Amino acid sequence: MNVTEAIRLQAGGLYAIWFREVKRAIRDRGQLIGGVSRPLLWVLVMGIGLNPYFRGEVYGEVRFVVPYTYLQFIFPAVIALNIMYTSIQSAVSVIWDRQFGFLREVLVSPLPRATILLGKILGGATVALFHGCLVLLLAQFADLSLSAGDIARGLSLMALMAFGLTSLGVVIAGRIRSFEGFGVFSNAVILPLYFTSSSVFPLDPSLTSAQTSVIYPEWLTILVRCNPMTYAVDALRGAFIHFQQFDPRLGPAALIAMAVVFFALALRGFAKA
Amino acid sequence: MTEQPAIRIAGISKRYGRTEALKDVSFDVGRHELFALLGPNGAGKTTLLHIICTILRPDTGSVMVGGLDALAHPTRSRRDIGVVFQEPSLDDRLTVYENLNFHGLVYGVPGPLRRDRIAELLELVELAQWRDKLVRTLSSGMKRRVEIARALIHTSKILFLDEPTAGLDAQSRERIWKYINQLRARRDLTVVVTTHYIEEVEGCDRVCIIDRGSILALDTPAALKAAHGQQLLRIVPRDDAAAAIMAEYPDATLRPDGEIVVQSSGDSFAESFLSRHGPHIRRLSVEEPSLESVFLSLTGREIRDQAAGARERTLAFGRQGGEHTR
Repeated sequence: MNVTEAIRLQAGGLYAIWFREVKRAIRDRGQLIGGVSRPLLWVLVMGIGLNPYFRGEVYGEVRFVVPYTYLQFIFPAVIALNIMYTSIQSAVSVIWDRQFGFLREVLVSPLPRATILLGKILGGATVALFHGCLVLLLAQFADLSLSAGDIARGLSLMALMAFGLTSLGVVIAGRIRSFEGFGVFSNAVILPLYFTSSSVFPLDPSLTSAQTSVIYPEWLTILVRCNPMTYAVDALRGAFIHFQQFDPRLGPAALIAMAVVFFALALRGFAKA
Repeated sequence: MTEQPAIRIAGISKRYGRTEALKDVSFDVGRHELFALLGPNGAGKTTLLHIICTILRPDTGSVMVGGLDALAHPTRSRRDIGVVFQEPSLDDRLTVYENLNFHGLVYGVPGPLRRDRIAELLELVELAQWRDKLVRTLSSGMKRRVEIARALIHTSKILFLDEPTAGLDAQSRERIWKYINQLRARRDLTVVVTTHYIEEVEGCDRVCIIDRGSILALDTPAALKAAHGQQLLRIVPRDDAAAAIMAEYPDATLRPDGEIVVQSSGDSFAESFLSRHGPHIRRLSVEEPSLESVFLSLTGREIRDQAAGARERTLAFGRQGGEHTR
């Protein structure tokens, strides 16, 4: 086997597996409806509804006027939520393939397992990134005017997030054999990750850590600080509303770490399958 | 250099927990041979096939595919083999063409060759007009034909077919054998097929009879019949005579439908049987040596007794689950 042939095999195989995932997602209307309705609810209903309650809170003696509206605050988090749902759900195709025998067809091919897995995860991540972009279309409702630079930065963070979370989905799918089980379990992972990622309420940056623990119970602040998604959402806020609660280097670091660790775990599980 | 056999396996054993699925199995498959693995469900045929296709590792033994150590170089040896699995393995949300094209890409078949092969093979399995239909709209016989076409899109030298005709109607089964024979005429192809339909292996070059993980016999159908075949008497007794006949011939088998099968040692056997039990039987037929009787004399059982059933149920269940989850 010469080098051109080897490259054609790897590249062609990667493309075929990636394209299959994307094609299946396009043909699955249910997924698309979820991807559209979720941000509509969160941004238009939840965001607009809670917007008036968010300005100029009084914390004891300190009156703090936040530099963004609630809608703006929640907007990057809804992008993350949409990516999270689609990424993790896309791993259902791993269970599907195993159940209906298609996995065998791929496993008996000359492609190495790592290529197969990479193609699958890139496919799922592409779909998730697309669903994240659907949220961006609602930017005008949050009064966001985004420059091309903001969007480019945001998109690369979103792509990284989609890759990491799709890998997480594959790790979960490797342990779960039934479709029903996966649905329940993925919700049990997605919702806690989302709600403890400082996405719906801020751990206020103007407060000292002592003041924070007066306002919030300690277990909650610990949960929020331990959740890698906190820093990922924070990084998206940096890109889209130019506001960050944490060190701006933490976000990309958390995203890269998630991508690497979850992909490695997924590969370990997949090599055994 | 002497010509290597297409497949050479030696000393293959495989255990699943306590059950020994394969016990020290060895054989060669010659180039361009049509080789059949015959045995009841659970005999170890599929396990053996999965080992040769390198998706399952044996506990001991060696597998050579086209002279290459397949256990040491699984990805390389997979380029030379095409597999049609027992369970359907098409993506039924993609079209026929998309499934075939996917396969070509995954095996690194260059574009123009891929398109030519797909067109040629779809023509061969008579599905050219179904090219752009979603696979889920196809019948199970058509799906099997797509899978056979798919296994040949890359330059496979060995084609494995695991129960290619199970669960299909007689007409579809006949067609599938027709395609296999046409393919062998067209290109240099070794075919290994597993089946529990005994009548299908008559046309094969060599038959390997396998039961409970061991090879019982391996030869051409004619030689097997000569060595192990026996004339059989199929008897339908009157109501009360069954017990008496069974008592007299301890190796006779009583089928669930009331028929008794006795192994005959020759024409005089039938005569003496008739003179004794003639008045008590409703019907008697003499069956000339067949592979069926070879299997019976080797295992003491008829292959049919346990052939259908489990697999058909599994398939039906899979289809049901498929509908639910869509």
